[in-house]
Amino acid sequence: MNFETHMNELALIDADAFRSLAKRLRAMPELQPSPDLADRILAAVESERRGSGSPSRRRFLSPSPWWGIAAAAAALVAAAVAIYTVLPSCGARSLASVSEGLAWLADNQEADGTWSPSRHGGAEVYRPALTALSALALDRSEKSGMSARVNRACAALGGMQSADGAFGGNGRACFYNQAITTYALATLYPKHPELRPVLERSLSFVAARQTAQGGWDYESDSEGNAALTSWQVRALACADEQGFASAKVPLRKGLRWLRDRARDDGSIAYHRDSIKSSEGLNALAAYALITAGRNFPGLPELGRRVAGALCADLSASSNADCYRDYAKVKVFDSLGQSARADALRLRMRLQQKAAQQDQWGVVGGKLYTTAFTALAAR
Amino acid sequence: MTLQKPLSEQDDTTLMLRVRDGDGEAFAVLVRRHQKMLLNFFARSGVQYDYEDLVQQTFLRLYRYRDRYVATAKFTTFLFLLARQVWIDELRRRKRHERLVAGLSAEPNPDYVDSEAADATASGEMDLKRALEALPEGLRQVVELGVYQDLPYAEISKILDIPVGTVKSRMFNALAKLRAFLEGK
Repeated sequence: MNFETHMNELALIDADAFRSLAKRLRAMPELQPSPDLADRILAAVESERRGSGSPSRRRFLSPSPWWGIAAAAAALVAAAVAIYTVLPSCGARSLASVSEGLAWLADNQEADGTWSPSRHGGAEVYRPALTALSALALDRSEKSGMSARVNRACAALGGMQSADGAFGGNGRACFYNQAITTYALATLYPKHPELRPVLERSLSFVAARQTAQGGWDYESDSEGNAALTSWQVRALACADEQGFASAKVPLRKGLRWLRDRARDDGSIAYHRDSIKSSEGLNALAAYALITAGRNFPGLPELGRRVAGALCADLSASSNADCYRDYAKVKVFDSLGQSARADALRLRMRLQQKAAQQDQWGVVGGKLYTTAFTALAAR
Repeated sequence: MTLQKPLSEQDDTTLMLRVRDGDGEAFAVLVRRHQKMLLNFFARSGVQYDYEDLVQQTFLRLYRYRDRYVATAKFTTFLFLLARQVWIDELRRRKRHERLVAGLSAEPNPDYVDSEAADATASGEMDLKRALEALPEGLRQVVELGVYQDLPYAEISKILDIPVGTVKSRMFNALAKLRAFLEGK
């Protein structure tokens, strides 16, 4: 039996009405698949086929050295609290530290246009990401001479890119270099249209490394980690806004993956099965959902919910962590919570001024703290 | 010696058996042949912007479960079984997501007001689309499989894991509801 024979069993009046209804239903226009849908499906299957050949144990610990959150060091908390106690008297002086930081970045650009992490306490393998962050920070300066430095940095980033679009490094370094540099390229692109081929290659690499489930991770058996995916969707949303069509599909898939990492309590899971959560990761994901997800129903609301679960008490997380605080500043700004954002900005400047050891200083060194403090500034 | 048909002319069952034996090209033919059908299956289910992702997930499952396919089963029945499972998972995620965003600002965000959809609500086509989406999931799936896909009721019964008699009663109820919705307009 099928629909037609079923209709034959009904009273004529019903059968005629239902046949007419079915005809209308079938006449409704159908969607056409995107021209590249089949290729994407086959690539995802191929990716899974390759992945299943070399299973490795999922690691739940040690997320990124920068973006994962470790326990706060008691000594650093004490130091931060001490800074707060003298905050009113040193507030005005600290305001100058952003421009001082930018000047320091400008003075320390290498002759080839990059910044050298190893000269400033960071890990050399992150040279592309730290050059990208430094260039982004300098781009915000209106001081004369800065644009020439940004131009040199852009050229240097293009020089560091390989033919497949990658910016170097292996595993974790490769993925973070790619995410942060792509974000910087997409942000700088409107002023630097010469970056188009570099950005296109980079986007192509990013799309090729997206897992079938929509996330990104440097662990071969993972469907994605929320920190990397948050950075990637920010980069893709930026590129999408600039008209790079190749960003659209990976952006949508990335946001979808990120959406599904939200837990009932408003926190974000680092991996699908992660138990722990962190303030920095929640802030990063919230900002990605609010901004990169703004054209997708429900995502900004979800981002706001995640943001609502962020800790408002500064003393509860007073260890220096420029990444966490940068992400929180961006979230608070996007929600119009300027007082909370300003308090964090001030703390970042004070901690920078005091050369307080940052959570991820060993990876990014002074370049990282200076660039993020500048990027968090108004 | 017999000439073998090109892959694109081979039937689904033959292709799926080749997939089971590791033939990637046969899988590609199946993807290209059925992607549109699945796309519209999900689109008519009320998925908003990520129906292509659900199509991809369905084919991923098809690949993962290729060993479970037996030639006695009609290929589309097997495929819709997988698609239905993908859709159920999606509904679970959606319910969770809706729960997460519930209680947040009720003000519509102008960034994602769909003006095209709003303009089209007056048209009969949109009424029908909305009526279909508004059907309870169990009824809508019977219409999807019986009317759009024109599957025999015995196949629908296997896919939805319900007796043929229930397929019939659901079909009747679904069409009656659609009719009442449209006549009430």
